Amino acid sequence: MIGQLRSELLKQRPTETTLYLFLAMFGLVALVITMNVLGVGADDLAASAQQLQDFEAGSRAGMLFAGLAGAIAITAEIRYGTIRPTFLVTPRRGPVIAAKLAISALVGIVFGLLAEGLMAADASVALSARGIDNQLTGGDYLQLLAGGAAAAALWAVAGVGVGALVRNQVGALIGLCAWMFLVESTSESFVPDFGRLLPGGAGIALAGNSDALPAAVGALLLILYAAAAAAAGWRAALRRDIA
Amino acid sequence: MTQLVETAPLAASCPVVTPTGVVELLLAADAGVAGGGHDRLMQSEAISQRTADQTLSVVPPVAPRLSEAVVSCRALTKRYGDLAAVNEVTFSLERGTVTGYLGPNGAGKTTTLRLLLGLAEPTAGDALVFERRYGELEQPFHYVGAVLESNDFHPARSGRDHLRMLAVAAGLPLSRVEEMLELVDLRDAAKRRVRAYSLGMRQRLGLAAALLGDPQLLILDEPANEADPSGVRWLRTFLQTLAAEGRTVLISSHRLAQVAQTVDQVLIIDHGRLLARGPLDELTTNGQSLEDVYLELTAGEAS
Repeated sequence: MIGQLRSELLKQRPTETTLYLFLAMFGLVALVITMNVLGVGADDLAASAQQLQDFEAGSRAGMLFAGLAGAIAITAEIRYGTIRPTFLVTPRRGPVIAAKLAISALVGIVFGLLAEGLMAADASVALSARGIDNQLTGGDYLQLLAGGAAAAALWAVAGVGVGALVRNQVGALIGLCAWMFLVESTSESFVPDFGRLLPGGAGIALAGNSDALPAAVGALLLILYAAAAAAAGWRAALRRDIA
Repeated sequence: MTQLVETAPLAASCPVVTPTGVVELLLAADAGVAGGGHDRLMQSEAISQRTADQTLSVVPPVAPRLSEAVVSCRALTKRYGDLAAVNEVTFSLERGTVTGYLGPNGAGKTTTLRLLLGLAEPTAGDALVFERRYGELEQPFHYVGAVLESNDFHPARSGRDHLRMLAVAAGLPLSRVEEMLELVDLRDAAKRRVRAYSLGMRQRLGLAAALLGDPQLLILDEPANEADPSGVRWLRTFLQTLAAEGRTVLISSHRLAQVAQTVDQVLIIDHGRLLARGPLDELTTNGQSLEDVYLELTAGEAS
């Protein structure tokens, strides 16, 4: 198992994929946060709850890109055929999938921390540029970082599961993006009571961007989603034939 | 092995069948694949640095019992819906043999190999290596090395990193990676990303990966399909060296000329059914060529 973990760490290193994901995430967070802070009326931005809510794009970006990284961890192996030598070395596929889940969760934590950090920095610059007081407390920041990192880690785990199920890399990535940008955001806008229970909404609660759901409930829901996706992907990866 | 040499006239032109000799041949072969005189010059320097005692068997080999069949398929069947890709195939391979697994495209060759390697589950029957299912072998890489596709690499990963990620998962020392890079003469290209590799280099990297665990059995699927003549000859000599060390080789192909010079026995499969098996010289009696036998058998099956 140690060998499989080290192997998965090595697989993260040499390709530019992770770097491009980081860059794309940075661009998205910077754009959305800046637009939100500059676009929202000054009165609305004065309250800390409103500030947190306007910054949820940071948490969402961390979760989404962590999920993409998790999906890539397995679909890239299928796409490029390295899944064959990988499973020839470790034919009992469980340890391979377990190592992918563990390393992807670590990568997800990094994505989450970076997304929240960038969000906080960008928001505080944009707020001070408009002369609005930054209402976020140390506790808020702590929850953003810790909760955001945990939410991104869980999304990365779910991403591995989705990737193992879907197998097609483009399909898995488009599916995750469509989920976050279409299903979640539509639900959030039109059926908020339902939207806040979805994986993205639960992560937002965990990161403290929303008080529509207690953070603990959000955490529990997201753990269940991630466990379900990982279990389904695990089952598929262990049973399906490799082409 | 003596039999193999007799059935392989080209071996006479490569009298030095030692690993070092193989590498030299490899270099000569690759000059046509990877580049021109500059490559050749660099490669000659590489040869002179190579030590004489370098051998394939660096990791202590696992010694299977002499009596056990290295490969055995018993009534092996794999169905996809109504189609039987592999239909009640039964054969076994003994230690030290080089076997050609022949048949047209879609005959069931690759499916059989995937079943043997645990990448797919049989619908019925057994596919065993060293009398166990592949997934039941402890440290299978010491028993079996396989190259199924010539391009199972991440294009953005270097050749060295490809081998490292496999060695690390296998718990093999990283020094083994360097030895394999040296063996297939990819040391100078080890840092480069695989996307910059020529076909011949990819083929050698695949072999290096398969040989990381110093396996007793080597399984190659259509190994020289796209290789040029020098690459084909390099591979042939390489396989003969491995067989001379007592390893077993199973190589699937539909290129008969290439196989006839390399193997000492053949299995012929079409439409999922094993049509013939036996030593090359027994199949090709009455002055028939392997091609005659093959076409006769596969045509009969198709009608």
